[in-house]
Amino acid sequence: MSKRSPDDYFGASAVGPRHRAQGEPNEDSWLGVRGAFGTLVVVSDGMGSRRDARRGAQMACRAVLDAVRAWHKAGSCTLDELLGGIEPRWCSLIAPSTARDCAATCLFALAHVRGQVHVAAIGDGLALLRTQRGLEWVVGPRVAGFGNETDALGHSASWTSRTFPREGGAVVLLATDGVADDLLPERIDGFVQWLMDDFAGMTPSQRWRALQRELKDWPTPHHTDDKTLVVLAQREAVLA
Amino acid sequence: MGWAKYLEDIVSRHNGTSRVQAEIKKVAEHREQPKPSPKNIGERVMSKLKEFTASTARPLPVLLLADVSGSMSANGKIDALNDAVQEMLESFGGEDDSRAEIHVAVVTFGKDGAKVHQPLAPASKVQWSRMTAAGGTPMGAAFDAATGMIEDRAQIPSRAYRPTIILVSDGQPTDDWQAPLKRLLGAERASKAARFAMGIGDDADEGMLAAFLATAEARVYRAHEARQIKQFFRWVTMSVTQRSRSANPDSVIAAEPTNLDDFNF
Repeated sequence: MSKRSPDDYFGASAVGPRHRAQGEPNEDSWLGVRGAFGTLVVVSDGMGSRRDARRGAQMACRAVLDAVRAWHKAGSCTLDELLGGIEPRWCSLIAPSTARDCAATCLFALAHVRGQVHVAAIGDGLALLRTQRGLEWVVGPRVAGFGNETDALGHSASWTSRTFPREGGAVVLLATDGVADDLLPERIDGFVQWLMDDFAGMTPSQRWRALQRELKDWPTPHHTDDKTLVVLAQREAVLA
Repeated sequence: MGWAKYLEDIVSRHNGTSRVQAEIKKVAEHREQPKPSPKNIGERVMSKLKEFTASTARPLPVLLLADVSGSMSANGKIDALNDAVQEMLESFGGEDDSRAEIHVAVVTFGKDGAKVHQPLAPASKVQWSRMTAAGGTPMGAAFDAATGMIEDRAQIPSRAYRPTIILVSDGQPTDDWQAPLKRLLGAERASKAARFAMGIGDDADEGMLAAFLATAEARVYRAHEARQIKQFFRWVTMSVTQRSRSANPDSVIAAEPTNLDDFNF
């Protein structure tokens, strides 16, 4: 890259005790990409009871990337046009498996080169923007229902989305429900600050290892789920 | 995985699936593995993550609606119910292979109306006090108490697994129960609870108990003697503990209750 990106991102994912005990792989997936469109981060959680959940999560990440590329290249400007392109791509990527077998959540943040940050989600987890003014929620702590209830790609669910102006020091946090359900809602601001203070300054490989270890040694008793979190930060915040 | 485009900087993707990523990880670990130092050791011990995360397991709530009307004092029914609940609590409290912590609450309905006899608490911490039987059968009030408890996110947080409601009765409700049951079955959270029902004796209102279950597959269990009350609770105990141990505790595993003699262990 000849030009320094104004954004930085990092993340990690760890298989949960349930899948570890069963000898099964992580059904979460995440992706971080810098490109002509800006910076994109995606997290996805394959629904545990589905046969091809892992593939569903992987293809969710890829579908968002493909859709973002096409959307940027076409010069489209509405977020709805971008969101409308994701699920059809996902359906074709998972073929011949069915949407039912591959059901997966999908949360992403795009720091677009045109000066906006788009955050969108289908399903549960955590998606928020932290600025100096406080937290802006896109997907917040669970308020209805019970644990493990979620919408997913392939279930005719609608996207929840918000668009923010790019802002120095702003941080986007995305996480799957394995992380989100055990975070104390009143401590999430501190959690983001801790990620920035203790991890943002590390080298990428150190950071990945350290985050991975934190997710693996998750302190909540009897936790079961796979855990994934991704941070997208304006570089000023990383260097602060 | 050849879908990265020129001028894109993909640092990571599907975790653990990319052979290239695995290679990068291997090399990076070889090169950059920090030597353990007192500072690093201190950092590991003092991870701040605990400050931001829940310190308790996700609860799996079990709510018993127990008929303690005067008729329950006949033929040792209330004693059998007390013994069965105590046995269930001991089984739940002794669960150490759980994916969730089983919490139990008991709402009684009888002489004093609907009353929280045992507030929702981890089964391992419940000190069981025996129920006594007197008065009518204000079941509608018990439905409203159950709905209130389940809808209250301070009592049952949204990170909890789906609750289980157990209804036990030996007679006809003596208050308006249809509207409260409609509220329970229509409530955002309470409607999602797994439900079990047992009618004790010939006077139990089986139609009403079936309305409480509200699903064609579920059936009302009938008990005519103390032994069957215990068997019912063993079946419920087994269903709940199987849920708590299962990969997905929100999935309801219920054995067919047609032959509860199998649960006479």
